Amino acid sequence: MSGPLGLSWRLLRGGGRRGLLGAGLTAVAVAVSTALLIFSVSANVAFQGRAEREAWRNPVAVGTAAVAVQAVHKDYVRDRTVTVVDLAVLKPGAAPPPGLDRLPAPGEVWFSPALAELARELPAGELAGRFPEKVAGTVGDEALVHPGELVAVRGQAPDSPIMTAAVAGDPRDGFPPTRVADFTGAPSPDAQAYQALALIATVLMAVPLLVFGGAAARLTVARRDQRLAALRLVGATPGQVVTMTVAEAMITAAAGAVAGTVLYGLLTPLLAGIEIGGGAWFAADLWPGVPYTLAVLGAVPLLVGLSAVVGLRRVVVSPLGVARRETPPAMRFVRIVALLAVLAVVPTLGAGSAAGVVAVVLGLAFLAINLAGPWVVGVIGRITAGTARGPARLLAGRRLVDDPKAAWRTVSGVAMTGFVAGFIGFLSPASDLLGDADPATLRVTVPAAQASRFTAEARERLTAAGVPARVEVTGKGEDKLLTVEVGRTAGDGGTESGGGSATGKPAAEKAATGKPTGEETVAEKSAGPGTGRADEAVIDRARTALDGLVPGRTATSAADEERFGVLLLKDVGTGTVVVLTVSFLVAVVSAGITAASSILDRRQTYALLRLAGTPLEVLNRARRAETLVPLAVMGGGSIVIGMFCAVPFSISSVNVGGMTILLICVTLGFAGVIGAGAASAPLLRSVTADPAPRPD
Amino acid sequence: MTNVVLEGFDLVKRFGSTVALDGVGLAVGRGEAVAIMGPSGSGKSTLLHCLAGITRPDTGEVRLLGQRVDAMGERQRSALRRTRFGFVFQFGQLLPELPAEENVALPLMLGGVSRGEAVRRARGWFGPLGLGGMEGRRPGELSGGQAQRVAIARALVTRPAVVFADEPTGALDQTTGHDTMRLLVEATRGNDASLVVVTHDPQVARWCDRTVEVRDGRVLPGTGRGMAAGPYSGHDVQGHSGHDVQGRPGHDGPGSLTRILPGGNG
Repeated sequence: MSGPLGLSWRLLRGGGRRGLLGAGLTAVAVAVSTALLIFSVSANVAFQGRAEREAWRNPVAVGTAAVAVQAVHKDYVRDRTVTVVDLAVLKPGAAPPPGLDRLPAPGEVWFSPALAELARELPAGELAGRFPEKVAGTVGDEALVHPGELVAVRGQAPDSPIMTAAVAGDPRDGFPPTRVADFTGAPSPDAQAYQALALIATVLMAVPLLVFGGAAARLTVARRDQRLAALRLVGATPGQVVTMTVAEAMITAAAGAVAGTVLYGLLTPLLAGIEIGGGAWFAADLWPGVPYTLAVLGAVPLLVGLSAVVGLRRVVVSPLGVARRETPPAMRFVRIVALLAVLAVVPTLGAGSAAGVVAVVLGLAFLAINLAGPWVVGVIGRITAGTARGPARLLAGRRLVDDPKAAWRTVSGVAMTGFVAGFIGFLSPASDLLGDADPATLRVTVPAAQASRFTAEARERLTAAGVPARVEVTGKGEDKLLTVEVGRTAGDGGTESGGGSATGKPAAEKAATGKPTGEETVAEKSAGPGTGRADEAVIDRARTALDGLVPGRTATSAADEERFGVLLLKDVGTGTVVVLTVSFLVAVVSAGITAASSILDRRQTYALLRLAGTPLEVLNRARRAETLVPLAVMGGGSIVIGMFCAVPFSISSVNVGGMTILLICVTLGFAGVIGAGAASAPLLRSVTADPAPRPD
Repeated sequence: MTNVVLEGFDLVKRFGSTVALDGVGLAVGRGEAVAIMGPSGSGKSTLLHCLAGITRPDTGEVRLLGQRVDAMGERQRSALRRTRFGFVFQFGQLLPELPAEENVALPLMLGGVSRGEAVRRARGWFGPLGLGGMEGRRPGELSGGQAQRVAIARALVTRPAVVFADEPTGALDQTTGHDTMRLLVEATRGNDASLVVVTHDPQVARWCDRTVEVRDGRVLPGTGRGMAAGPYSGHDVQGHSGHDVQGRPGHDGPGSLTRILPGGNG
């Protein structure tokens, strides 16, 4: 290394214990930022991976040149969803679908590992009985959304009833037999929705991270100010000063970025356990890939270096500007105007807005808060200093006025989290909207003409499986609804007004369960909503018995049908917790590092104050006030702004769950920042303890 | 010696294997200005720190008006420094974000004086110290000499018994340094406070009543523990420093010092 580079390397190494501590703090900050940044990038890659792996199950129809017919339907076992893919090969020799080593022949089935395990665990009558085919292999991970996903791929003959049944319906429930040219498919709308949500979450996490990383860089520059101003005074050119600073900041940041990548690698097993979309993640999902990792590893030191240049501008422009502390120019009101401008855009958004637009507006709101923050902190400082009676508040207020940006850096993390919490807390729908639908009544649509036949066959199958149930047919017109009330015996009301009468044999059922006619027993009643595990088993036996009754259709309960909604709510909750956790980590680490850096920056003044008899308690109180006062104002303000931004997307009024999350956030935020500040009290003691270690 | 305010006996202080003080004794009289001189590494700053209750000597005693300072705990010594002592350092002791008047008022506020009263009393010092109109300026907007005068006001605002100054003119040019020393000596004496100045500059020492030379952790014979009979009869600096002071200030020296008292609190 030569010239300025070599000198900055020597300065970094020769900075002494405290210099190294300062560099260490920056490296820690950068490491945490990098790890979380990789995480927020990986989240997108991970959801994209899921969407791609799932795509083959969303067949795209072709008119000619079809190599296979593919039908997909959802089945249910316990409270889980099984995706069943039926394939009929039209043209042998085509490439097999992902996860299969060859094209399935009629009568063969491939299980995903989790399904294979579950099929072994449960009695055959509850699950395995639905797949009488010969198990020919295991569906590979490349065809599974998550490791715990239940997937079955069956081979069918092209003319089998299931491959010819005309079933129309919601793509969420499956696809009718579709002629496909290959097994590429298309990402499902749900997978794309998850990707959009992940993108918003990334913005919510990444913006505070970038702000935090930049702040960390400027902190170290503040400490270098004096030394570099001295260098400038002895004649270093602006170019040399900038090169040295940037080099030093980037060396530190590069070390931090590498450490952060390693940290992320170590955290991956933990993060992979987060359940979204009904399951955890493959470890490989959370590996963002070499290009993204390299991009982050390169971007982080670059950003830190850039931030260092910005922070140094004053030193370079005027060597005396830093050496002599002068009243900084007042913050301009235009900062507030920027925030108001962004907020003015928010009401024009709505639930129909594109996810990208929402992400951009959210990002802008974030940046605008960050821009307005220092201005507000300055105002708070003037008020605090003006009204202060004791020395601690006076010191705090003057400090806020003197360097509102520094104070903002301490609280910005929590303020940003407040924004996120306000936004999400206001958005989360009430958790009691869903979840108490009837799980014990299975329904399947049947053609009116065959209603009687299906009813009779259903009764026979259920009887053979030993499942007590009342089977009815309701509805008018072409399609009728065959309803199976599991756990109930058919006492009365067997005939329906619709014409398709239930002509079954109730006596057979009663004989099978040994229960007297017309008597509703306790056991029967317990099969209603909220039943225990034994009843789940009975329902699964009923499902297994009814499997394949109507080709291409599955008997489902109301609870099954709302499973997706329940899952989505759960995922929103999980996502909220993840985003808030990340925000909090950033906030608390940022508060701690800022507090420590500010002590290091001002150690001479602190030491001389203590030497002149100023109690440390006063200094600590001042430090606390200088954090808490802006924290209270800015944290509260950000929550309100976050809620305001959420209003256009809000589907229901504020709910208790969201408010609880908010309250926890506020409490944790304050506790975390106070704790982080308090953690640096020993540092204050140590840097002021020995004012003159020199024997002179 | 009823007139003695501050006394140190047989002070010994070691830093690791380095002996900073090796049995030093020193007495400071009421209203007396004492210069502690010595080359770098002689132990003069350590002596000041021991006398001021900043560090505790390994052995020996420090008494302020008969009260043992070295035996006090950190909290008590901190309170003592805040109330009974004043400090002027080379630079950096003023809080950059506070206006000058609030820097001066701070020690009073730490002592429980209300903010309004503290600032009012602080302002009283600005005129007599030649700082009229500087009350609202921040340290960064003051010259080096002005900043030191603010520091002097801050040291004296609590009416301390002793003012300690560690190279108070070290960062100033010669003329400003002379002015600052004159004000420091006049102001402390005018307020019946004693002054202990650590310096390596003979011209600074000239302003004091008496000079104590420290070498290798010991006081040079004839300059130490014994206290001068009166404030104005100390050793002449030139007598043992051997320096002939050039560019001596154009006034009549310590004898003609005027009493500097704060205004506005009469």
